[in-house]
Amino acid sequence: MKYRNLSIWKNVDKPLFLFYFILSIIGYLVMYSSNYNGFEIQDFLWNTNYGKQLIWLILTFFFGVFILLIDGNFIKNSSYFIYGIVILLLVIVLFMPPIKGATSWFYFSSFSIQPSEFIKLGLSLALAKLLSDVGSKFQDFRTKLKAFLLIVTPAILIAIQPDPGTMLVFSCFVFVLYREGLSGNFLLIGLFTILIAIVGIFLKASNSVFFIGSNAVSGNLFFGFILCIGFLFSFLIIRYFVLPRFRKQKIRSLIFISVLGLSISGGINIVYDTIFKERHRTRFQIMFGVKEDRKGAGYNIYQSLSAVGSGKIFGKGFLKGTLSNDKFKHVPEQNTDFIFCVLAEEWGFSGCMVFIILYISLLVRMIMVAERQRSKFTRIYGYCVSGILFFHFMINIAMVIGLAPVIGIPLPFFSKGGSAILTFGLMIFILLRLDAERKVVLR
Amino acid sequence: MDPYKNRRWVIILIIISIGLIFSFRLFYVQVINHEWSHRAAKISLKTENLQPPRGFIYDRNNKLLVGAETVYDIFILPIAIKEKDTSLICNLFDMSKLDFKKVLENASTGYNVPYKPSVFIKSMTQLEHAKISPFIGKISGVFAEAKIDRGYPLSIASHLLGYIRRIDENQFQNTRANGDFFYTKNDFIGITGLEKQYELLLRGQRGNINYLKDYAGNKIKTVNKIPAQPGKSLQITLDANLQKLGEKLMAHKIGSIVAIEPSSGEILAMVSAPSYNPSLLTGKNFSKEFERLKQNDSLKPLINRPVYNDKYRPGSIFKLVQALIALEDGVITSNTGFSCNKNIIGCHNHERPNNLLKAIKHSCNPYFFQVYKRLIMKGKGKNIFEISREGLGNWEKKIKTFGFGSTLGIDLPDEKSGFVPNVSFYDQWYGKKRWAFSTIYSNSIGEGEIGVSPIQMANLAAIIANKGYYFTPHIIKEIEEENIKEKFKTKHYSCVDAKHFDVIIDAMNEVVNNGTGRNARIDSIEVCGKTGTVENKNFNDHSVFISFAPMNQPKIAIAVYVEFGTWGSKWAAPVASLMMENYLNGFLSNKSKIKAAKIQSEVILNKNTKF
Repeated sequence: MKYRNLSIWKNVDKPLFLFYFILSIIGYLVMYSSNYNGFEIQDFLWNTNYGKQLIWLILTFFFGVFILLIDGNFIKNSSYFIYGIVILLLVIVLFMPPIKGATSWFYFSSFSIQPSEFIKLGLSLALAKLLSDVGSKFQDFRTKLKAFLLIVTPAILIAIQPDPGTMLVFSCFVFVLYREGLSGNFLLIGLFTILIAIVGIFLKASNSVFFIGSNAVSGNLFFGFILCIGFLFSFLIIRYFVLPRFRKQKIRSLIFISVLGLSISGGINIVYDTIFKERHRTRFQIMFGVKEDRKGAGYNIYQSLSAVGSGKIFGKGFLKGTLSNDKFKHVPEQNTDFIFCVLAEEWGFSGCMVFIILYISLLVRMIMVAERQRSKFTRIYGYCVSGILFFHFMINIAMVIGLAPVIGIPLPFFSKGGSAILTFGLMIFILLRLDAERKVVLR
Repeated sequence: MDPYKNRRWVIILIIISIGLIFSFRLFYVQVINHEWSHRAAKISLKTENLQPPRGFIYDRNNKLLVGAETVYDIFILPIAIKEKDTSLICNLFDMSKLDFKKVLENASTGYNVPYKPSVFIKSMTQLEHAKISPFIGKISGVFAEAKIDRGYPLSIASHLLGYIRRIDENQFQNTRANGDFFYTKNDFIGITGLEKQYELLLRGQRGNINYLKDYAGNKIKTVNKIPAQPGKSLQITLDANLQKLGEKLMAHKIGSIVAIEPSSGEILAMVSAPSYNPSLLTGKNFSKEFERLKQNDSLKPLINRPVYNDKYRPGSIFKLVQALIALEDGVITSNTGFSCNKNIIGCHNHERPNNLLKAIKHSCNPYFFQVYKRLIMKGKGKNIFEISREGLGNWEKKIKTFGFGSTLGIDLPDEKSGFVPNVSFYDQWYGKKRWAFSTIYSNSIGEGEIGVSPIQMANLAAIIANKGYYFTPHIIKEIEEENIKEKFKTKHYSCVDAKHFDVIIDAMNEVVNNGTGRNARIDSIEVCGKTGTVENKNFNDHSVFISFAPMNQPKIAIAVYVEFGTWGSKWAAPVASLMMENYLNGFLSNKSKIKAAKIQSEVILNKNTKF
């Protein structure tokens, strides 16, 4: 037993563990600083956010050690079981009393559990299991359908809560599927869609008017017009410069893209006017800087950007934040979605750089670890974990620094929330465990 | 084996580019663009002014004349007012909901903006504030700010001390234009009297406190604090007891008393009647009381007559100056005598003025007609117009050395110069060479065109007491750590040599002992004085008296002017005497007390009061 234990630690990927460990420590210090209001020992553990966070962190490491001790095969074989249990929880949680308008939590006195966090782990395991099964090939339609159902089921359950932020995270599995053979066109089409959508929404939000000749037209119509001209040009280029044997195929995809682009830009026109509510429109207008709204919908972002900006190069120092600290409450939700403000304000640009480098290193290291596996299960699982963390990181930071509209999503290892801390920790410990036995077994 | 192995690079590239985008964005927000950190400062920092307490004013014996009274202004911040609090607010301040709605509207329109606090109730007393303070702490958008108003423990010398009031838009803009950023709206500023004169010293220096606030505007932590520097306290030369007596004696009368210490020019008392209680012009009743005193009182109690009213003709007290100049000029000697020829100018019956002393003792009008004639017609020539012009020119220069016809430079605002008629004045009035001595002889006995303020009359008494010089009369005695008195330490000499004063002083002593001013006698003190009765066509004459005592070592020089008080010895002389007795002895004898009570109860407001 002792021998085996030691051999596992020897095989654990030290850089990955280190990145995770350092980020956890930084995250904890930021949480501590954010809530610091004079240290009082009797309150420490049970009555403060950082006290609870510490308990969860210790719990996570305790479970982590436990995971390192169990057999990887056992984890792999429990994948569907874990997934099933969490799906069950997701169903039950819908019948719990809503908090802030969402039925996302189970409450146990001062602690609460959020099953939508655990599904990230469950889904990663289940998806890895599905795609790595000897019999399944991703190219098969059945496998694709199964994978799709696996992802969509929890997504729908979470949408019912509703928790759009967490739901959005599920789109990260596109990366995993892409790595496993999903056509790259999906990524490109996704990117294309996002670009067209951004331009379209921007034109709507800013109420731009353009002129064709002397006729004033709305921005979107003009954009559509430009798109058509662009497609026409492409068509002419293909017509005269592409070899005849590829021509047919190219023209087919051009038509597809044209239809997609025009329908998106037209669709946005309709969605923006009819489906969007006023508050959504304001959010976009604020995001694009068309409107400055310090008191209403723009309040969060105005306050958080002020806090970030006030950090300057070297920050105000540990425990010295004056906007994002809980005492001041200038930044709302500074313990959860906007916790990055605390880091940015107290450690400045230099601190942010350390943070970003550490985070990117962690994500890239995970991909490297995933890629060196002989086991397909471990590889897919690694990608899942990396993708999930990446999406959280991307959406959360983009929101805090004003590059995306406000979407409620936690920053892993930083935001308050025991379920999240535990889930993200376990995800990494499982990866470490699976990776540690990469030379021993072949799955 | 794995055809998609290279796709990891695409994914890694995407991750790294997101990291780069974030880095650039953060670099922009945190390093390049300083706007966000300015905004952060605006969000989290708040500066509050610290009001310095205004300096106190003490009399020469360190009795407090002006102290401080803390009052509270109640402010409202319209955007922070919650609907549910309105009924509580209305109860607290005893107003209807409709009124409060109006208040809110006013506070949000025009100059006022809803996110800046504006004054809601001004100058609550400490007692009123104590009642409401536990409640307003709980109401968001309503808060109190302490201000230092004035308190007057003795309620005297209102004119001299002046008053403060809240700065108005004009003054506010003016001070700003002059680079003085001390005041904020609703601050107090000195308007008259010493409050205005020494405003810069009394007001002190404003401090401020920067603190970090939370999202609701609550103070969390002080960042830095520059304490306010309290205004400097003044000690003034006034003797509170003397002033109090003077105001009592002048009750129900119109006029002035000015008492000066001749050896220093320090003003011991300065009474302007009718007076008002200085406490009226404090607190929330200011506007009401001010309006009443300013507009609705025909006696104009706000005017500080001793320095402001320079239209007073001096009357017979002016004979002293004429005599002094004549002696200096050598046109008469102390033994010169004239006959009391009532054909030229009116007089009363008295012994023959065969020397200067007797002439002053009986205030003989024809005598001084002759003296003035010799002064004006001194020149040798044939043309009486030319001679008069030359004579008047010389006379004017000499008169002016006694402090007449120009401001003395007292440390009070709005001092008026008075008027000594000169050549150009008569040229303009009558035309060149259209006037001569016979036109202007009224000046000889202090009638005619001469205008003198009571402070100048008292200064004349001081010059005679000093035998020829005076110090600029002043009120400031000491200011903490300031040396401001230097300019009051120079002797100003009159044109008359000291040796000529002895006869005048003897004569003034004779006036009090055996002459027109017997009402001014004080047992055990040798008093020198001169009465004056200023003619008033159709109305009662004005009663004037200037005096100093004791004769040999003068400690007080005084001028009393009682409008419509008939002749000089009737009211002015006894008032002066009581003042001097009280000052020199420190108390009034029983006999004098009875006299004082009688004078105090006399009402002389009507121009035709019968005695």
